[in-house]
Amino acid sequence: MTLEEFRLEVKKLKNSGKYPSRKSYLLPALWIAEKNFPQINSEMIKIIAEELEIPLVEVEEVARFYAMFHTERKGNFVIRVCTNLSCMLNGGEEILKEFCRLLGISPGETTPDGMFTVESYECMGLCDGAPAVTVNEERFSKVKVEDVPKILKKFGWKG
Amino acid sequence: MEKILLRNVEKENSHKIEVYMKSGGYQSLRKVLKEMSPDDVIEEVKISGLRGRGGAGFPTGMKWEFASQDIKEPKFFVCNADEGEPCTFKDRVIIEKDPHAMIEGMIIGAYATGCRYGYIYLRGEYPIGKKILERAIAEAYEKGFLGENILGTDFSFDLHVHSGAGAYICGEETALIESLEGKRGEPRIKPPFPVNAGYLWKPTVVNNVETLANIPVIIERGGKWYSQIGSPDCPGPKLFPVSGKVKRPGVYELPMGTPLEEIIFEHAGGIVNDRKLKAVFPGGASSSVLTPDEISVPMDFPSLAKAGTMLGSGAIMVLDETDCIVKAALRLIEFFRHESCGKCTPCREGTDWLVRILRRIENGSGREEDLEIILSISETMENSFCGLGMAAHNPVASTVRKFREEYLNHVKSGRCPFRSV
Ligand SMILES: Cc1cc2nc3c(=O)[nH]c(=O)nc-3n(C[C@H](O)[C@H](O)[C@H](O)COP(=O)(O)O)c2cc1C
Ligand code: SF4
Ligand code: FES
Repeated sequence: MTLEEFRLEVKKLKNSGKYPSRKSYLLPALWIAEKNFPQINSEMIKIIAEELEIPLVEVEEVARFYAMFHTERKGNFVIRVCTNLSCMLNGGEEILKEFCRLLGISPGETTPDGMFTVESYECMGLCDGAPAVTVNEERFSKVKVEDVPKILKKFGWKG
Repeated sequence: MEKILLRNVEKENSHKIEVYMKSGGYQSLRKVLKEMSPDDVIEEVKISGLRGRGGAGFPTGMKWEFASQDIKEPKFFVCNADEGEPCTFKDRVIIEKDPHAMIEGMIIGAYATGCRYGYIYLRGEYPIGKKILERAIAEAYEKGFLGENILGTDFSFDLHVHSGAGAYICGEETALIESLEGKRGEPRIKPPFPVNAGYLWKPTVVNNVETLANIPVIIERGGKWYSQIGSPDCPGPKLFPVSGKVKRPGVYELPMGTPLEEIIFEHAGGIVNDRKLKAVFPGGASSSVLTPDEISVPMDFPSLAKAGTMLGSGAIMVLDETDCIVKAALRLIEFFRHESCGKCTPCREGTDWLVRILRRIENGSGREEDLEIILSISETMENSFCGLGMAAHNPVASTVRKFREEYLNHVKSGRCPFRSV
């Protein structure tokens, strides 16, 4: 998506009539940026502020408040490994370590080729399948350490 | 027991409107619009004794009555589908497998309270649920259950999905409303309550997914019938998500008041590898822990409060004898530290200090005095601004009280006794 296309999408959103208040379009607008760019940067924030006619700083503080909005560059695939209680009890921390070991990065980092980001994540509501992992929108349940390379290969890991 | 909330989930394509309608779906809405006044609906819900399933257990009929009495316009109806409480995954089942039950419940609620617009505030981590809900809403529009002049009456209601973006605090109803308004999710002071001053400071009803999924069946079979299920002072079916060290983790529908022991050992199959049960958090991450000799407690709001803990979201988290209680408490308080919005001092600082102290106990460098410090921080946190801080210390303080020996063992031996290295 180009920035011009992004601006058009935000305009379209703003005219959808979904909310009676312009500011309510802010989270949906940030979601468009999150889904279509590797990072929500200052240019997108500026476009949203202009289109929704709200102060720049109010867009930025919201973009930074919510964990799912990446104001730092993320990989093509965001791997979220749950380490909350039920997943932790069932080995989630070992799964996280294995992803990090194979990719050579720490939690929160992105591989140099821009392919993968690994995040140590809080409960994703998949606890009946603990330990749980998601890659972008795909779910993996009852993950074992030996499943980790298979999951990575599915998303184009050459390692 | 006959399944009520989960009656549809096993059916093929249970999320589609044809399947839902084939088993009587949207008949309750029809009945409400053709035969009942808004006050009749509220009365029926009051008779049912239904209490909110989002955590606080507030009587739903009473909430609707407050909203219906407010004269400000327009009014909004919000479904709380933020489901962020750790180890809670019950609403997910309804969202993905029976979305029309909650949508029908929502439309009925909007009619009863006079709401014109509705939003489903869905947690960002449920992208699959988002697609399912959006399709379900489109189906309901097509059939004339949403939009202008629903089923030829003068009642109109529009409904949209609003995606959160990964902030647990947005499950708290006033933070949710701030987030819906396009702001950071920071709670507002109460009162005024959302029913009088919510979204854009207009009357706003906020109800949990599971609460709303109860509504069509209450209308269909009557509040009186409903009130006879489960605990008399807190009736109805309840979804219990069970996870951790049980053989069959999953969501179980059982009458309110089912003993915790029965849920863990009969329904969830008991403890993995037939190990011994060590501890249970009976109502989500902010509930106080229960020990094996306390699990005969009936799972409902009043009984758990009496037992010194809470039902909360009903999420049952089970630990076995090989699990370290300090580690478990640490993981939970780390979560709350991460999710604290930072608005008030007791919670922002309290969660941070508890994490630091538990980390040092867990890695073997704690001191005996730390236990008293934990309890005193916990007491201070009771004065937090919202429910997050008021309850976040519960898993820590309760484990210090009930598993004191294990904490002291960490301190004295200078290591975690459960770690092999
Ligand atoms: C920190 C915090 C988090 C909450 N998270 C949720 C949630 O994820 N889902 C929910 O339905 N209610 C949640 N609640 C409760 C809501 O504030 C509110 O009471 C509830 O949505 C009302 O719906 P009900 O009456 O149908 O239960 C939370 C409360 C607090 C204090
Ligand atoms: S208790 Fe915690 S989450 Fe609630 S307002 Fe205070 S800092 Fe924010
Ligand atoms: S604890 Fe991991 S998905 Fe819930």
